[in-house]
Amino acid sequence: MSKGYTLNELLIITCAKEIKDYQNVILGVGLPTTAGALAKALYAPHATLMMESGIIDFEPLVPLNHIADAHACRGFSYATDLFTAFTMTYRGFIDICFLGVGQVDKFGNVNTTCIGDYFNPTLRLPGSGGAADFIAYAKQTVLTLRGGQFVEKLDYFTSAGYMEGGDSRDRSGLFPKGSGPSMLLTTQGVFRFDSETKEMYLAQIHPGASVEDIRKDIPWDLKVSPNLTQTERPTDREIDFVRHFAPTESVGRSMRTELSIEHAFNRAKKRGKV
Amino acid sequence: MNNNANKVMSANEAVRRFIHDGDELIIGNYTVGTCTELIFEICRQQKKGFTLYSQSGILDVDVLVNAGCVDRLVTTYVMRSGGKKGGGAVERALQAGTLEMEDYTNFNYNARLVAGMHGLTFIQVLEGVMATDLFRKRSFMGEDKYRVIKCPYTGRDLLTVPAVTPDVCIVHVQRADKHGNAQYWGALGSVAAAALCSKKIIVSCEEIVEHDVIRQSPHFTIIPAFRVNAVVEVPWGAHPTEVLGHYNRDHFFYGMFTTANTREETAKAWMDEWVFGCSDREAYIDRYAARFGIGMLDKLRAKAFYSAPANYGAAFTSAWDENGKERSMGLSLAQIEQRLAEKGMLYE
Repeated sequence: MSKGYTLNELLIITCAKEIKDYQNVILGVGLPTTAGALAKALYAPHATLMMESGIIDFEPLVPLNHIADAHACRGFSYATDLFTAFTMTYRGFIDICFLGVGQVDKFGNVNTTCIGDYFNPTLRLPGSGGAADFIAYAKQTVLTLRGGQFVEKLDYFTSAGYMEGGDSRDRSGLFPKGSGPSMLLTTQGVFRFDSETKEMYLAQIHPGASVEDIRKDIPWDLKVSPNLTQTERPTDREIDFVRHFAPTESVGRSMRTELSIEHAFNRAKKRGKV
Repeated sequence: MNNNANKVMSANEAVRRFIHDGDELIIGNYTVGTCTELIFEICRQQKKGFTLYSQSGILDVDVLVNAGCVDRLVTTYVMRSGGKKGGGAVERALQAGTLEMEDYTNFNYNARLVAGMHGLTFIQVLEGVMATDLFRKRSFMGEDKYRVIKCPYTGRDLLTVPAVTPDVCIVHVQRADKHGNAQYWGALGSVAAAALCSKKIIVSCEEIVEHDVIRQSPHFTIIPAFRVNAVVEVPWGAHPTEVLGHYNRDHFFYGMFTTANTREETAKAWMDEWVFGCSDREAYIDRYAARFGIGMLDKLRAKAFYSAPANYGAAFTSAWDENGKERSMGLSLAQIEQRLAEKGMLYE
């Protein structure tokens, strides 16, 4: 009998499997860092993990607070600057990067800037950050969608996926041939992109999810792989790693907040406060 | 993809595997502490037809030209041994018509490396050079030595130089780890840019250190491991030039070279003895000690003047405190697992 796992653990572990040994990897905050730490520890010991702030080749010991977090590691190999981290990507040295998604369309184009009108937004999201440049020049990009949405048309086109689909990305001449999103991970499944049309299709569903439920969130007629698989169940070794490295990621944001507040109150009570 | 396994090899293997006839070759070092052992090994293997880039030619460029390895040279400074009769290998090769050369300013040359390092196809440089023959007299690069463009913002004429991305960089540094993280300090010159603009990089170093040393001092790393193809440990690898923290320049021996280098026959004799006559750096140092005594080298050894350590520490390096409680939630792993189970958040 294997250990029970949380949904977040499943997502992190699924993401980590995209990282191969000897790859150069740009990590973002949250899920990707934990995925990177897991990959480096279990599957990809020679991977070079990097942050866009210029922290190159680090081993995360605790989850990152942000993408300039030298406090999350014990030293690193090379201190460069942000400019060089991006030109390194432009020159083709980055194999894989990870981007969170606010809105995504069927060709993997991404909005992380705003929901609603740009000049009068309903939700003002963070913006591009590194996203538009990384998805442009990393050899491969993994998209993660947790709170975001699938749309027919983005409210703001922040980062170019496969543009209008087909060979339009390659034809634009702006990007290295063959680059672009390779996968979209959501809380319900894994989507990949058709090699010809570049339209996303459902490749894998997580245990407990159903194709019907997944379709409900998608405004177009979703294509489903004839070889649809179920996401592999995490092993005890993988679960143990994530739970030790990033217990706060394992439990997820709402439970973490609840338990942290409870803990702070208990501590204050003991000291005669509150 | 990187190849960050163990990249340690001999100078012989590194040169054999990664440097080919006809390459664009760049010497990463600049004026001080050049990579003499790698250069001597290139001569010993009789590589031919290089387009050689050197920020500032010293003994390194002249040795390669003496050995007949160089067809074309891009530089900003040619070594002379002093006086009208003090020309060297470059001057002789220009006179004999066996070498083509492009002259740049130090800044122009460095700018070409910076453009290459960052993946730009050209870069703006300081326009005053347009008044000079540096701009007007062009050798093998022709029109592409410099081009002038209009600034899209101001309408002014801007001078540009093309990026360079040489096939291979050779560079000597103080220390590296076996993965290729190369650490260098002192006169930074254009050393990092020369390495990072290149397609392949061969690093020689005074010592190979544990990876932990690198990790404790990332601010000294000028080339990250994933860019490096070979790491060669070669003590005295820059002799007779200097390496900060290891040894000073050997004026006596350097003078022997420059004196010999003024004439073709004496230059050849020097090359025969010290380059072709020594199978590797150890043999070279053995010969030096036998001829002049090891005390000559001992006098050059650096006395220590250490940099102050930088503190890379954080408050903690684990999510768990010393009592095994998660820091923000204050619970043990077993307690967290119990709460997850109670809330029905664990899937079987």
